[in-house]
Amino acid sequence: MNKEARLKATINQKLTETGERERLKELLRAKLTECGWKDQMKAQCKEVIKEKGLEHVTVEDLVVEITPKGRALVPDSVKKELLQRIRAFLTQHAS
Amino acid sequence: MKMEEVSMSSLDNSKLEALAQDILSDLVEDACLGLCFEVHRAVKQGYFFLDDTDQESMRDFEIVDEPGLDVFGQVYNQWKNKECVCPNCSRSIAASRFAPHLEKCLGMGRNSSRIANRRIVTGNNTNNKSESDQEDNDDVNDNDWSYGAEKKAKKRKSDKVIVINLFSYNKG
Repeated sequence: MNKEARLKATINQKLTETGERERLKELLRAKLTECGWKDQMKAQCKEVIKEKGLEHVTVEDLVVEITPKGRALVPDSVKKELLQRIRAFLTQHAS
Repeated sequence: MKMEEVSMSSLDNSKLEALAQDILSDLVEDACLGLCFEVHRAVKQGYFFLDDTDQESMRDFEIVDEPGLDVFGQVYNQWKNKECVCPNCSRSIAASRFAPHLEKCLGMGRNSSRIANRRIVTGNNTNNKSESDQEDNDDVNDNDWSYGAEKKAKKRKSDKVIVINLFSYNKG
């Protein structure tokens, strides 16, 4: 493993250990709901369901359709805020 | 095997930024997957479309935005000009004056008792009141013939009002 990969692994471990990962997840979820992203994505899901049929739609169907759109539709402000928190965490946990 | 602590200062900012973006990417992916699972479960358990209303009902209950109407489509100053017939004196009274009129007409409520008391003390004629409460007034207020007792009567007015109100409540 090179330096970067080791760093990444260490950071990920610290994120989980300190509980920051959970907090960041919750924060992201809250922000996405607040800004209407969740409702937007639900509407997209409805399309997929209508397409595939209520009885036959699978998780895979949804994931394949929704994930790329979901990533693209995250508002910049939300991204900025999360990145700020992450950067703060990174600089704080410089060993 | 203990993992080597890697120092941050040995990496430049762009690498840190890339790392931050990676982490963000993971988090977003997590959120998307979470949503997919949530939706899928809702679909399979049958509650996904539960909060939707059909188009027809949506149109029925649409918010009304016209002058003179409230959001439900009702006329809101409809009762301003209506007149009601008093069941006691059979007079036609304007709607907004109806409640105070009833109070005086039936002889119930705080104000009508006070007015009745005042009139008794000053010896005025009060023909329009209902009889029952006036009798109570007479019983309780024995010093209505002496003018000097006016002050006392006024001071005890609050007591009397409470007593009379109790009488009214008892009578229903």
